[in-house]
Amino acid sequence: MFATKRLSKMQEHLPPGIAIVKCDNLEEWQMDIKILDQNPLYLDQTYRLKFTFNNKYPIEPPEVQFIQSPASTGTPRSIPMHPHIYSNGIICLDLLGSAGWSPVQTVESVCMSLQSMLTANNRDERPAGDKEFIATNRRRIRDINFVYEDDNV
Amino acid sequence: MNLQDFLAMEESRDRDELIDLRSLDLVSEYDSHLMCPICHCPFVEPVRLQCDHVFCGSCLSSAITTFRSADSDEFPCPSCRNPTQKVSASVPRLLINMCDEIRVRCPLITEGCQEIIPRGHVQSHVEKYCGYRLLPCPDDSCDQMTRSKDVGMDQKCIHRVRRCSHCEEDILEHEYEEHEKELCPILEVACVDCETVVTRGALQEHIESCPEVALPCTASKYACPVKIRRADIAAHEQSCPIVAMGPYFEAQNTRLMSLESSMRHLQQRNEIFEDGLANIRSTLVESTRLRANSNGSGQSAQSAREQQPSARADVSTDDPADIAASVFSSNATTYLLSLHESLREEVSQLSHAITDLDARASMAIMNECLRIKEDMAHTNAAVNSVRMQVQWLMNPRLHQGTRGGAVRSNSSENEGTRTQMASSAAGPSHTSGQSLGSLRPRRPSDGGREGTKL
Repeated sequence: MFATKRLSKMQEHLPPGIAIVKCDNLEEWQMDIKILDQNPLYLDQTYRLKFTFNNKYPIEPPEVQFIQSPASTGTPRSIPMHPHIYSNGIICLDLLGSAGWSPVQTVESVCMSLQSMLTANNRDERPAGDKEFIATNRRRIRDINFVYEDDNV
Repeated sequence: MNLQDFLAMEESRDRDELIDLRSLDLVSEYDSHLMCPICHCPFVEPVRLQCDHVFCGSCLSSAITTFRSADSDEFPCPSCRNPTQKVSASVPRLLINMCDEIRVRCPLITEGCQEIIPRGHVQSHVEKYCGYRLLPCPDDSCDQMTRSKDVGMDQKCIHRVRRCSHCEEDILEHEYEEHEKELCPILEVACVDCETVVTRGALQEHIESCPEVALPCTASKYACPVKIRRADIAAHEQSCPIVAMGPYFEAQNTRLMSLESSMRHLQQRNEIFEDGLANIRSTLVESTRLRANSNGSGQSAQSAREQQPSARADVSTDDPADIAASVFSSNATTYLLSLHESLREEVSQLSHAITDLDARASMAIMNECLRIKEDMAHTNAAVNSVRMQVQWLMNPRLHQGTRGGAVRSNSSENEGTRTQMASSAAGPSHTSGQSLGSLRPRRPSDGGREGTKL
């Protein structure tokens, strides 16, 4: 319904380090984010996020994950190293779950939260049980029950 | 009102209004504070939470039903996450008025209504005043829709079809009169030129072939002024000299065109060459000046001596030194200009770098702030827990204090220590006799002081 209007409204001014890649329909958007400070883990890198909206957005959270894109496409994108980001791009962040989500969040605010989550990180590692999770997970993102045990990162 | 009442009220609200205020096309800009943070539209029937955050009523009710944990009477505010129990429908009148004042297009623009009205009036505009609203046809037997402005006083159905008696075409009732008078192709009209009477349908065809229609000569674009009847035009073209010249003119035209384009080409190339030449000249001047500077003053004295005898001979002819000077000065200006240009470029690069740095710095500050905030929260929690512990530790001590015997011994002890402290603070010149009196002979004045102290 009115989410349609709201999505198209944000294109006017974007915060630094955030760019729209694809927003031609209202089901899936792709955004590029950059980490602007000198964190050596993410220096000069651009990462691509995929937002999938359902028709209850913004009451319900969008599905957000990092996606890869091979170098042959001209815009190589990888999955950033972070103890809360699985190597298939799935992100464990409480504000993307239905418990932590608030309908006042927007695509920009989610991008900025992820920027600061990456900026504050100094551990070059994947979450515990990463290999196992990737091998076994067949659920959709919104059906995964994360336990948000680590408040340090 | 509490959450239950609010949800019940929102549910019972009449939702079959004609217009979705959120899908309206806004014409005027509006203040971002008037925007509901959930639906990003100006507030529609706003309500207020305990924390003073305002949302549309319907947005808030859908948020409550999704986020409230099973029928509890609390709900976290979407903006600040403060738990809230009460929803207040009393929002400042000012806010509602400002939202109602935003100018919008009539939603019936698809039907042709061009009006721009304040949002608060849309409902009444569409219901009462808009002429483009579709109504069911006043005739009950007709199931079509009519624009409200087309429903006349007489409440007649305008959809009834009438067959034109001339052309056998089906025409709507209210357009019939116009059709009969002006549009019907069977009607007969007279050709303006030859006065033959033909039907309207065949008029176009007739004009194409009518011998009386005046046509311009085929050479009219080469300035033949003749305009003549179709029947005579062949004869004119036989004798017209300009028609005979036609192919020649054509050829000349194309030649001119090609010459013009090549001219333009050459001009561009010339400009490029001139630029290059100027560059070369400026570099040459620079190098010669450098050489002259390095050679120093010795040479200049020599050249002055050489010039003296030749000066007389050079009076009549062009002085090469003069030419060199003028060339030099023009080159110097170009050199300065180029220098200026490069400096400007550098400045713009610097400003770019500065804006870049600015963005980075603000980002870094924001992140730092977040981290510090978190730290503060941790510290707060720690301080609180320490306070709790201290209290817990103090409690038994206080309880002991209230017990009778202990009180007296405690208080006397306390007094003793207090006097000790006071005396030591007073300085060594009049130490009290209690602790140090045995070590020194007591002076008469000491006793008096001690008495006043105790």
